[in-house]
Amino acid sequence: MSPLLACSGLTMRFGGLTALDSLDIAVGTGETVGLVGPNGSGKTTFFNVLTGLYRPSEGAVRFEASDLFGRSPQEISRAGVARTFQRSRLMLDQTVFDNIALGALGRVDLGLLPALVFRSRFRRDLSALVEKATALTRRFNPHIAASLFKPAGSFTMIDRRRIEICRALIGGPRLLLLDEPSAGMTHEETRHLMDDLLAFREEMPDLAIVLVEHEMDVIRRISDRCVVLNFGRKIFEGAFDALLADPDVQTAYLGGSQ
Amino acid sequence: METAQLTGTRPAEVVRTQGLHRLLVAAIVALLFAGGGFLLHSEAQGEVIALLAAFVAIFVFAERLSAGRRAIALCRAHPGTVNLAAAVSVLAIAAVLREEHYTLLMMATVALFATAAAGLTLQMAFAGVPNFAGAGFFAIGAYVPAVLGGTGIPHLVVLLIAGCAAALLGLAILLPVLRTRGHYAALVTIAFGLLLRSFLEVNDVLGGPQGMKVPAFSLFGLSFARITEIGPYDVSFYLPYALAGCALFALAFFVVRRLETSFVGLAFDAVRSDEVAASVFGLSIARWKATAFLIGNAMIGVAGALYGMMNGFVNPNSANFGDSLIMLSILVLGGFGNLWGAVVASVVILVIPEKLQAIQEYRLVIFALLVIAILRFRPSGLMPRATRDLSALAMGGQR
Repeated sequence: MSPLLACSGLTMRFGGLTALDSLDIAVGTGETVGLVGPNGSGKTTFFNVLTGLYRPSEGAVRFEASDLFGRSPQEISRAGVARTFQRSRLMLDQTVFDNIALGALGRVDLGLLPALVFRSRFRRDLSALVEKATALTRRFNPHIAASLFKPAGSFTMIDRRRIEICRALIGGPRLLLLDEPSAGMTHEETRHLMDDLLAFREEMPDLAIVLVEHEMDVIRRISDRCVVLNFGRKIFEGAFDALLADPDVQTAYLGGSQ
Repeated sequence: METAQLTGTRPAEVVRTQGLHRLLVAAIVALLFAGGGFLLHSEAQGEVIALLAAFVAIFVFAERLSAGRRAIALCRAHPGTVNLAAAVSVLAIAAVLREEHYTLLMMATVALFATAAAGLTLQMAFAGVPNFAGAGFFAIGAYVPAVLGGTGIPHLVVLLIAGCAAALLGLAILLPVLRTRGHYAALVTIAFGLLLRSFLEVNDVLGGPQGMKVPAFSLFGLSFARITEIGPYDVSFYLPYALAGCALFALAFFVVRRLETSFVGLAFDAVRSDEVAASVFGLSIARWKATAFLIGNAMIGVAGALYGMMNGFVNPNSANFGDSLIMLSILVLGGFGNLWGAVVASVVILVIPEKLQAIQEYRLVIFALLVIAILRFRPSGLMPRATRDLSALAMGGQR
């Protein structure tokens, strides 16, 4: 079976700096891959390349049957890739719904006529979207679902992260990229968030997830397979238990001992 | 019709409070407009100062006291009532002051500048496209009836053409505006305004520095210049312009509000606040910036055309940078994204200097100080834009 996402020889250079060095990473349908590595090892760059924010220098990116190499973020989004960001990118003065709806705007009629003239069509789409957003947020936190029309800025950090995850999920992506969902949260909050995510996984068995994380506990709990990056290169791929014992990984994290 | 459906399922008591609330909102709006009408009409310095003091007092009251805040919340909860009461108030003011040339000229000017501000709102407050050439697009609008006014094309069509002309000429700088950001995009529009003015000055076909005469607006063959009485009443030459200006603003208001409360509005806001997030979720930055820029310029152009027809002439000086800044001041002062704020700010910026002779000479100094003060102490403007709440629309759709 061919994987959902297959990157081969993916390279990203910024001038003389090679941020990603011929990466081969594959993710299967419904699989969760944990992506780890020290700071600056290229994890976020990998996401930025995958979502089209950076144009890769070399390599190939296949997603299902389509070639996503060098495509625009818009095309990649349409293909079914969604992500969250390491630093919150919510519009804090707008309502939770407005924020979450952004994730679905690629799938509604954005024409001027439904906006100006044929309002009944717009309202039907809007009601459907509100219902969907309510159902989705309720899974993560009923409080968010009940306050869907409050400004996003009035929520706690963990709820904001949940809102960001809902925004990424509402468009029904095939591949979800989570960039450090535990950043800036306590252990307790992280545990809650992971519980939500695991519960959600059960209902969406086909959704593939790539998770960038520093918290090893998070990686251990939810990933099927781990990939370790260092200086833009893949230094390890395999099960979590093997990861900790791997000498290359130990060197990358703890420094060389030669 | 819709409200009847909504309230039909509710207990009688709720219906009664709702009705009372609407009445209260209508009374507040009517009172504010009556005050505005007085201000427009008043000539005596003492009266003007007293009225201004009263408005400032009302403003402070509305902000500081809980009753005032409740009144604001009530008005925000009943936008339909606000709009209806405003329309009725405007008609009443126009009926009472039907013979007052100068007052009606002021009213028309405020309405047309507020319409231009509505176009700028789409561009700057929604999609985040800077436009420092508002007066340029306004002037383009005014040149169109100057050229086409005598050709027999119906003037309503001429207005449309004026809008299209402004949008089309805006296309010339669309690419550089889309390819630059922030200050650089602003500079592109400033350059466009300056170029346009120089072009108009040296172009003999368009009258050179003297400019051109613009024929009076005529609606279905009836020239506004020849309207001197309606029924048994003598009316000012400016009355039809004041009404047409207000109608145009109402149309612009309708378009802007509908766009704001739609997926298009969501797209605009997303593109303005975070281009990275908007792209990652599939929005085309160029498409939405271009949409806002074109529609906004069309609105400014139509307003400019009617303004030119009212004044009877247009010259290159209409496209000066200072006037573009005045349009921007209206936006900043009123509150980015709030069209009622734009109306209030248009009155403050266009009318008050005319009324207060003491400050007339210093008007530009005072605007500048006012804008600095607003940016420092109240960056979201006198009447900040309300957070969009689509819940009511979504609920209505389920019925």
